[in-house]
Order: sequence, then C-alpha cells, then structure tokens
Amino acid sequence: MIYGKMWCVVKPSVGIPIIIGAVAVGSFAVHLSLTLNTTWVKKFLNGSAAQVSAIQSDTVQPVAMLVANDPARK
Amino acid sequence: MSDRDKVWPTGLTEAESEEIHRHLIQGTQLFGMIAAFAHLLAYIYSPWLH
Repeated sequence: MIYGKMWCVVKPSVGIPIIIGAVAVGSFAVHLSLTLNTTWVKKFLNGSAAQVSAIQSDTVQPVAMLVANDPARK
Repeated sequence: MSDRDKVWPTGLTEAESEEIHRHLIQGTQLFGMIAAFAHLLAYIYSPWLH
C-alpha cells in the first residue's frame, strides 16, 4: 500500500490528529464561507417561517379592509 | 536481510505501520462515501446549484 510505511517515521498520535484536524478545519471553512457569502443558505436554514410571516402580514391588512368596507356590517 | 521486524523510531514495525495505514484508508473511504451521500441529499433537497 502506498505510503503504508509512513507511520514508521511519523508518530500516529501526532499524524492522525493533524490529518483529521485539517479535514475538519477545511470542511468547516468551506461551509462557513458558503453561509457568509450566499443568501440562499440562510434562507434555506430558516425554513419556511420567514415566508409564512410575510404571507400573514401581507394578507391581514387586505382582509381587515374588506371587513371594514363591508356595508352589511354597518 | 529482512527489515520487517525492525522497530522504527515511532515504536512500530513496518507491518504495524501498514496495518494502521490500512485502517486510516478505510476510514477515509467510509467518510468520503458518507460525505458524498450527504452532498447528494443536499443537492436534491436544497437550492444548492439549482
């Protein structure tokens, strides 16, 4: 196996945490930069709550106007 | 002359070193497969790349 003998000269207790840590830091950095530099990740992670509240605030006022202008209610 | 039983500075023989490396490669392959599956799910269910 290629590089199979590297642990003869690199202590596994040093080398393996470095490898796993590098993968973890790289992965975290990529996902953090995606979150910070795009708009859709934040919207997606917020789910549909923002849309629901927007729909409610858009629909409450027209319905209230309909009720207020209804002659049958006077 | 065989060096297979020689204990290297890390305290391991070549056979032990290759055994550790085999497990490390297997772990990397498993991690890669899980990560690929997670990215597939993210591609299907999120706006990513759409």
